[in-house]
Amino acid sequence: MDDPLLRIRGLTMTARTARGPARILSDIHLDIGRGRILGVVGESGSGKSSLASCLLRLLPPNLERLEGSVDLAGTDLLSLPEPAMAALRGTRIAMVFQDPMSALNPVFTIGTQMVDVARRRAPGLTRAQALAKAEAMLARVAIPDPRARLAAYPHQLSGGMRQRVVIAMALLAEPELLLADEPTTALDATVEAQIVALLDDLRRDIAGSIVLISHHLGLVAQLCDDLCVMYAGTVVETGPTAAVLAAPAHPYTRALLACEIEAGDEGRLASIPGEVPDPVAPAQGCVFAPRCARAEPRCHAEPPLLRDIAPGRRAACHFPGAVP
Amino acid sequence: MGAGGARYLAGRLLTSLLIVFGAMLLLFALSALVPGDPAATLLGPQATPEFAARFVREMGLDRPLHERLWLFLSNVLTGNLGVDVLSGRPVAGLVLSVLPSTVILTFSAIGLAVLAGVPLGIFAATHRGSVADNVLAILSVAFIAVPSFVVAILLLLVFSLWLDWLPVLGGGDASDPIDQAKRLILPALALALGWIGFIARLVRSSMLEVMAEPYIRTARAYGLPERIVTYKYALKNACIPTLAILGLGIGRLLGGAVLVEIVFARPGLGRLIYDAISVRNFPVVQGSVLVVVVLFVVVNLLVDLSYAAIDPRLRDQGRGGAAR
Ligand SMILES: Nc1ncnc2c1ncn2[C@@H]1O[C@H](COP(=O)(O)OP(=O)(O)OP(=O)(O)O)[C@@H](O)[C@H]1O
Ligand SMILES: [Mg+2]
Repeated sequence: MDDPLLRIRGLTMTARTARGPARILSDIHLDIGRGRILGVVGESGSGKSSLASCLLRLLPPNLERLEGSVDLAGTDLLSLPEPAMAALRGTRIAMVFQDPMSALNPVFTIGTQMVDVARRRAPGLTRAQALAKAEAMLARVAIPDPRARLAAYPHQLSGGMRQRVVIAMALLAEPELLLADEPTTALDATVEAQIVALLDDLRRDIAGSIVLISHHLGLVAQLCDDLCVMYAGTVVETGPTAAVLAAPAHPYTRALLACEIEAGDEGRLASIPGEVPDPVAPAQGCVFAPRCARAEPRCHAEPPLLRDIAPGRRAACHFPGAVP
Repeated sequence: MGAGGARYLAGRLLTSLLIVFGAMLLLFALSALVPGDPAATLLGPQATPEFAARFVREMGLDRPLHERLWLFLSNVLTGNLGVDVLSGRPVAGLVLSVLPSTVILTFSAIGLAVLAGVPLGIFAATHRGSVADNVLAILSVAFIAVPSFVVAILLLLVFSLWLDWLPVLGGGDASDPIDQAKRLILPALALALGWIGFIARLVRSSMLEVMAEPYIRTARAYGLPERIVTYKYALKNACIPTLAILGLGIGRLLGGAVLVEIVFARPGLGRLIYDAISVRNFPVVQGSVLVVVVLFVVVNLLVDLSYAAIDPRLRDQGRGGAAR
């Protein structure tokens, strides 16, 4: 990728816990191309949400250390003063949070919350104009009777409806970089398909880049240009989606794919034998070695670096699979 | 407010009526079940036998219990709270003449406590761990720990006797509102001080809890100004637990008012009850306590209603599931 929108280098985040420092993200290197959709997959606890929050610089209160750089079109987000960072939120970067049940404020109407977001994005808007925009956006995410929904409180909507409201809110911000953390988990298959189509449309419309975090490899395969596989807080494989899925180089990616195929069409990531490593006591060598069928002594001793294995493809493995 | 709101209101009204009815039964039982000769208990040993006999007849003390209960209830419902044993004046008139003074005192105290306590609590929460937060914590606990009559005596000594800034005792000239207002300052402050501390602590902890909620993170993720995040999105949620506890605290505040009124020699329900108890003027005790109970119930009803005005989930209580 020649001129990526976002360039992440050596991103490492640790947090204080009762048991000692926990390594939540370690040495992440990742590029997000302009106008491209990047799928981030990985088991629960692999650090996908933490990575997204880091890109917005919404950090946990127990943060211990944050290192590396996150470069958005020439601006390093990690060294930006807080007011300048706040100015980027909701304008150039927006996020759809994982849990739509708790992401909306329970004591304000959907309309009020959307109007605040719309007017933050375009300060000149009157309330009426902002409401009209919000209504249009709700209609766009296929919410029936959007005008009435604007007057509703979050608890009056179903989970799927709330999920769509949260997406509509992110769309109001018209961001260059949209972070969508499991945006379809609360939805049934039909609605999920609508949202997927919507995200696809959106890419064409605003020429922004999207980071789509998902458990659902099928969804990622359908929608994403690039794929990033995370494990234990680090990136183990990246590359164009089709190429990675056709010939996965990292044993973890292969294991993920095998789970998906076993589980069939409906499949989300089923479990892989063994346990996700404890972030408080990280492994000596390769993070995946304890669960890897092909691990050799070198894998337990020396962590593999994320390196180029073919044009556009990178993997963190001492013995990557053959790539055409 | 929809059907859910109406049902909520009806439920609260019914509960309030039941509490008042229960209080009436209790008060009746108190006077009816006093052991020994009621006339002797009420009138004291000095009463002549003729006077005692007339008293028994006039008060209906010679009738069967159920008739007396009926008489008491129907009297109260028609606004007849009985007759002052000593002066022969109707109790209702006595109570009404001092009621405004107590209501003004308690409401100015609550107003003062909210006006000072809420901003202090917000400040402490947004400056958590700072020197100011710690100083406020110590002051709040000190304010809460000192009983209001001690504060009353101290204020009286300092501001009235030593500094001579404010008039000393009494409720003030009825035709001179400025004089009345001046005489309100110290008693209201005495009553409010502990509540300022209490509300500040309460608001601080609710704010901290709310600020950690995902919907606050959402607001921040959209770059909404910290002012809006704190005073709009967080404060309204933090008000809910604060209000609930405030409602329950009204009873204690009325109790505190009794002592403060005595210290400042202010006319009021507190003084009336105190004087009546010391001369065993039973009907006056009964009547004024009943009025205090009604006052408590009415204030709680108002708190419940404002509670519902803030929290839409309460208004929808008991209504079917969320819309699809
Ligand atoms: N503030 C924190 N303090 C300590 N540990 C944390 C903190 N935030 C995240 N973690 C840990 O870091 C790991 C990654 O969490 P994260 O939520 O990013 O995973 P995820 O990939 O989004 O998982 P899921 O698919 O379940 O959403 C988990 O083990 C989590 O327990
Ligand atoms: Mg997550």
